[in-house]
Amino acid sequence: MSVIYVLLTISIIVAICFFAAFIIALKKGQFDDSYTPSVRMLFEDELIKENTKKSILTKKD
Amino acid sequence: MGKSTCYHCGLDATLANITFDEKLFCCNGCKTVYEIFSVNDLTCYYDLETAPGATPKDIEGKYNFLENSKIIEQLLEFNENNTQIITLYIPHIHCSSCIWILENLNKLSPSISTSIVNFGKKTVRVNFNAKTLSLKNLVTLLSSIGHEPYISLDDYSIGKKHIDRSLIYKLGIAGFAFGNVMFLSFPEYFEVGEFWLEQFKPLFRWLMFTFSVPVVFYSAQDYFISAYKGLRSKILNIDVPIALGVSVLFFRSTFEIIFDAGSGFFDSLTGLIFFLLLGKFFQQKTYSFLSFERDYKSYFPIGITKINTNGKEESVQIYDIEKGDRLLIRNEELIPVDCILTKGNARIDYSFVTGESKTVSKQSGDKLFAGGKQLHGSIEVDVLKSVEQSYLTQLWSNDVFKKDKSMAFTNITNQISKRFTISILIIALLATTFWLVADPTKATNVFTSVLIIACPCALALAAPFTFGNVLRILGKKKFYLKNASVIEQLAKINTIIFDKTGTITVNKESAITYEGLELSKEETLLLKSTLRGSNHPLSRSLYSILNEHNILTLDAFEEHLGKGIEATYNNYQIKVGSAPFVGLTSETALLNTTVHVSTNNQYKGRFTFYNDYRKGLPNLFNSLKIEYDLVILSGDNEGEKENLTKLLPTKTKLLFNQKPKDKLEYIKHLQHEGSNVLMIGDGLNDAGALAQSNVGIAISENVNVFSPACDAILDASKLNQLHNYIKVSKTAIKIIKWSFGLSFIYNCIGLYFAVSGQLSPVVAAILMPLSSISIVAFTTLATNLSKRKLE
Amino acid sequence: MEMQQFHYDNKIVKNFIYATTLWGVVGMTVGLLLAFMFLFPNLTDGISWLSFGRLRPLHTNAVIFAFVGNAIFAGVYYSTQRLLKARMFSDTLSKINFWGWQFIIIAAAISLPLGYTSSKEYAELEWPIDIAIAVVWVVFGWNLIGTILKRRQRHLYVAIWFYIATFVTVAVLHIFNSLELPVSGLKSYSVYAGVQDALVQWWYGHNAVAFFLTTPFLGLMYYFVPKAANRPVYSYRLSIVHFWSLIFIYIWAGPHHLLYTALPEWAQNLGVAFSVMLLMPSWGGMINGLLTLRGAWDKVRIDPVLKFMVVAITGYGMATFEGPTLSLKNVNAIAHFTDWIIAHVHVGALAWNGFLTFGMIYYLVPKLFKTKLYSTALANLHFWIGTLGIIMYALPMYVAGFIQASMWKQFNPDGTLTYGNFLETVTEIIPMYWMRAIGGTLFIIGTLVMVYNIIATIKQGSTVENELAEAPALERVSKKRTAGEGWHTWLERKPIQLTIGATIAILIGGIIQIVPTIMVKSNIPTIASVKPYTPLELEGRDIYIREGCVGCHSQMIRPFRSEVERYGDYSKAGEYVYDHPFLWGSKRTGPDLHRIGGKYSDNWHFNHMYDPQSTSSGSIMPRYQWLIKNELDKSQTEAKMKAMVSLGVPYSEKEIANAKKTMLAQGTKIEENLYADPDFAKNYETDKKYAQENGEAFIEMKNREIVAIIAYLQRLGTDIKVETAQN
Repeated sequence: MSVIYVLLTISIIVAICFFAAFIIALKKGQFDDSYTPSVRMLFEDELIKENTKKSILTKKD
Repeated sequence: MGKSTCYHCGLDATLANITFDEKLFCCNGCKTVYEIFSVNDLTCYYDLETAPGATPKDIEGKYNFLENSKIIEQLLEFNENNTQIITLYIPHIHCSSCIWILENLNKLSPSISTSIVNFGKKTVRVNFNAKTLSLKNLVTLLSSIGHEPYISLDDYSIGKKHIDRSLIYKLGIAGFAFGNVMFLSFPEYFEVGEFWLEQFKPLFRWLMFTFSVPVVFYSAQDYFISAYKGLRSKILNIDVPIALGVSVLFFRSTFEIIFDAGSGFFDSLTGLIFFLLLGKFFQQKTYSFLSFERDYKSYFPIGITKINTNGKEESVQIYDIEKGDRLLIRNEELIPVDCILTKGNARIDYSFVTGESKTVSKQSGDKLFAGGKQLHGSIEVDVLKSVEQSYLTQLWSNDVFKKDKSMAFTNITNQISKRFTISILIIALLATTFWLVADPTKATNVFTSVLIIACPCALALAAPFTFGNVLRILGKKKFYLKNASVIEQLAKINTIIFDKTGTITVNKESAITYEGLELSKEETLLLKSTLRGSNHPLSRSLYSILNEHNILTLDAFEEHLGKGIEATYNNYQIKVGSAPFVGLTSETALLNTTVHVSTNNQYKGRFTFYNDYRKGLPNLFNSLKIEYDLVILSGDNEGEKENLTKLLPTKTKLLFNQKPKDKLEYIKHLQHEGSNVLMIGDGLNDAGALAQSNVGIAISENVNVFSPACDAILDASKLNQLHNYIKVSKTAIKIIKWSFGLSFIYNCIGLYFAVSGQLSPVVAAILMPLSSISIVAFTTLATNLSKRKLE
Repeated sequence: MEMQQFHYDNKIVKNFIYATTLWGVVGMTVGLLLAFMFLFPNLTDGISWLSFGRLRPLHTNAVIFAFVGNAIFAGVYYSTQRLLKARMFSDTLSKINFWGWQFIIIAAAISLPLGYTSSKEYAELEWPIDIAIAVVWVVFGWNLIGTILKRRQRHLYVAIWFYIATFVTVAVLHIFNSLELPVSGLKSYSVYAGVQDALVQWWYGHNAVAFFLTTPFLGLMYYFVPKAANRPVYSYRLSIVHFWSLIFIYIWAGPHHLLYTALPEWAQNLGVAFSVMLLMPSWGGMINGLLTLRGAWDKVRIDPVLKFMVVAITGYGMATFEGPTLSLKNVNAIAHFTDWIIAHVHVGALAWNGFLTFGMIYYLVPKLFKTKLYSTALANLHFWIGTLGIIMYALPMYVAGFIQASMWKQFNPDGTLTYGNFLETVTEIIPMYWMRAIGGTLFIIGTLVMVYNIIATIKQGSTVENELAEAPALERVSKKRTAGEGWHTWLERKPIQLTIGATIAILIGGIIQIVPTIMVKSNIPTIASVKPYTPLELEGRDIYIREGCVGCHSQMIRPFRSEVERYGDYSKAGEYVYDHPFLWGSKRTGPDLHRIGGKYSDNWHFNHMYDPQSTSSGSIMPRYQWLIKNELDKSQTEAKMKAMVSLGVPYSEKEIANAKKTMLAQGTKIEENLYADPDFAKNYETDKKYAQENGEAFIEMKNREIVAIIAYLQRLGTDIKVETAQN
């Protein structure tokens, strides 16, 4: 059954990686505001008309 | 109906017929905002929500203090040559439109790069370039679009405060470890001695150990600390048995895996801590938009205009004001220090400081106290005392503001846990001694097992989950508690003290009576027209109450500051104002606010203003009087006495002319006589009392604006519900006692296994979550039932 | 910091949408064809590359990786750009991602019907394609993380987290499950054997469902549902909790696909426990999705997009409720190997993945082409036909599964099976198969309606390949700044850390995994009597794999009285030690074959392959006549045996050297057995004579494929009969 333990190990390692990501994200305040982002994502930003006043970066950014 | 309301702010716009590209506005302010948006194609603001805006206020000169570099430096979060960052509190933030416009500020000014809204906290965090856009202009810009930020002396200590996420870390780690340990210990529950399991057992066990180490030494640290503190101050608080249980679990398990005696109890260990922390997490319900810690700093401006010896105006930081400085106080501005009026006529509203409802007018040479608000034109004053020494601010030097209430009393859980711990230890010892006789090999096993099983997980969970739930329930009913301990305190109350002005009365006085000679039709008409001219607060309210007449155009109109108004209409002359002004020499000393009227120098009579009380007040008092002693502590004079006696149960004590300090002392005195006091107030003048009382509730007509430091904030509209809220808190305590009962049953079952020396990891692993979860379920259910009490 | 203007790449999104629709139709059509093969077994008579066994993997792969896969990319490429306020990291990578993926699909569409398969479900593709998949997937991840790095929006919306998780985990899963040893250009053997292979396969199988069919779609749900309803998600906090709890629990829930198999009990319990726990986050997510529409039901009534999404989310709820239920041992005892599972996966695929994709397409196409949807009426029509189709599909399958399962387990008072003949249990559920076929037809009609609607919409619209948008860049800032407000520098770090983490995981995992495979022999409680397959049997086994027999026949007798009674002694782990790959199967359209060896004569098998209905009337097994005609390709045999040796199968040098001889011998033996049947003898001889007279090349029976397959079938499960295992 050795392979089970391989799988367990991989699972745990992956899990630990995600956990690290979680802690760091938390630490950096990603989850501090648990409302505004859900509203922010609703705003469309393509509506802007071509506007030459502003500095246009490389055509394809 | 959209027709007649303002396109920008949604207020009634029928009277003012201001229109701009087919849209109706209630005032030019709103129109201007709309113009600003339409010019910068930001009208999408109005597509997201209908009429989301607020009318911009006139802020001429209000923010001059933002020119003071010292203040700027304090306010800025980050300040490097071309990037400045500031977080501003904007009370108006209330909808997605607000978020949208505030996050598109860069479209209004190129010097703003990004602006991020935190809706919960009602703040916007702006990156801007101070070289091209000064802080003052930024604030002015925000105000001009109806999103005026609120900056107070409180912000002077910005940047120091940071969010504490440690509990979430602890919870996360515990949860993660719990999951993995469960995962790793699963094999041993079912298949002992399976070939490959045997091979990997050591690895598994040591992995479990590694997972549990951070849980014990980081996640659980608070329990050890508080247990240690408790013991040092000779208190057996709940954390003592917890800490004991945790450490025993850990050491026994470690011992077991070292000597291959078994798989240990790591699963129970991590699970236990996970659940405990979960409870903690659940209990701390915070209202990001409320603050329970406010003192005068939140009301005082951060800066004020100082007039130099050479007569130049400059804005200075409040703390830099010294004795002898000359200050300029603008209309609607707050007087930050005790001072002497030197120029201009002052009409000061002290209601916030003293609770006195009527405004007082002062002539030059009079003394003004800090905390008063100038209502009438701008004045100049000479400073007598610096901020800290001033009349109002001294209140905060009182040490009631230093001590933390929740520390002061032993909560219900700890009361129980005392007996609990002792009995557990006895049982443990008895059992051990028994086994020492019967079968010494089992002795240590039993001893540790007892301590493990006794670890009062369920016990410790009962309170947090109940309280947490109640906090949420009350929060939904607009009764916001600072923390869980308030609930317990509230249940113990036997005396309730009310402040008068703003607490049981509505802030505006509106009930008016007229005594004197009947006014002829022309006279009332003339009076009305006259009052219309004046914007003195009393005139306004009087005007609004007198019924509608067609308005005359007066021949002459003159307002005598601090005295009254004088007007003539075809040789009809009228005087409205204070007694001496209208020529009434023998003024009968009367405490209520009055306005006297005379026509053609003949005294007609006076209008008297009375308080307007909150609805449902009598019922509330009548239901409360059965269980509680009721007291009214008013900073106001006795003018309302008879009204109150009519209104309230007879045994209610009424005390007037109470200065803030007196209120505080009175409560102290009551507490010395062994009563638990609930203080309900609103203004700063109650701050001391609120702090001194066992529970201080601040009444607020709008919870988003300010209320003094307190244990709970109650929405004014819900004052009549107060009794029910207290009842709920009492039920909460009952529920907790019940769940204690429950958890004892579990402990007994566990103890059976422990004492008989047959506690296997599986049993522990089943019993622990089972008890915890059922307790949680029970409390949640019960508390939700208790909600029925509230409508 | 002044505004930056940039363009969203809509072209790539469009391409993925086109691909989604195209492959959707293809995959579903193949599925429909298969559904009808249940009713007309010889629908594609004689065409080997259209036989059921070969098309089944094509269907699953087409739907999962072509239809759903492209849908994922379309959604991710659209939403990621907008959530992060940045164009995708690199157009080249985007193109590679798109064309690479389409190439893989085409490769699959060709190789699978030709019988090139590893026989591991949802991972049938042979090793070169596996590598291609790995490469393209990494390209996708690289592109995604690159975009995250240069984003202009500080906060990572929850959907992005779901995307990251998808990339990392699928990468790990795919790599580990596809570890195989190539024999030739298009032939390989899994490095794991028997039980171990099964374990890895279903660890992959389950997590593939979790991280390919669920997490990305949850991400899409969290983006498109609020967008379409134009209201924020019910609780953003809940969505964050949902993500993290889901991630941590999913990874642990693998083994429950192997309940009652030769897997150790505790591993099964583990699977069950965590599967049950899964219910909480799953339903948290579903509730969050549905409540987002609270107070917007008026919108739902008129907007087809929302209609589709509501059904999709409901489907997710049902599937995620059913999943844990199925993982309960006693439920699984009934459901496993039956059509219940087919119903379960199709609720997931048709409702959750299908309908969410449709909703997404109906939302995106008008947006991308700056126009209105051509016809809402048609969209509604699609919705109703589709929903009806799902119901018509799922319900009969549940019933079928239940009926069949109970018939399998039914005993007479005298202790014999009531339905001793497996066929009875098949004919019983034919009506259900009819309804399933109808349901499927409806669903496809719906899809075709959508295709028409979409084309019409595109025709009336104007395409905007690069959409202008603007946002200020995120400044990099000094330590001093980060002190004030965390995580600017972190956004440079995090995604990298994630990827590094994954690679480390793969490496460490790899190392740990080498060790046991080296000591393959030692690590299964061996059964002395179990011997490696003879060369001919080995070739036969490869034919068995090629023809996809595993799609309908299991090789796993579970320890139930009913199964032991029907098939023989239950399967032991030790019997599979030489099975690279394992062939346990997951569905019993036909009976289990693990103890078929010696049950019937060689002639019976011969005739059965020639025309199943002749030997067992009413059978729905198609004819496999080409097996009887084709010559057996022996060129690879030695290579195959060598490969097996390096995987731990104890073939001696001598055995390998004599492979051809032994094969011929065994073949001749079987040929002689076949002569026992006079009809066979007569026909065979006449064929031979005819060939000789016309000077045609004649393949002797002993060299034909049929012989190999017979050899393999006769060998199956016979080892254990010699002595009982000490497992």
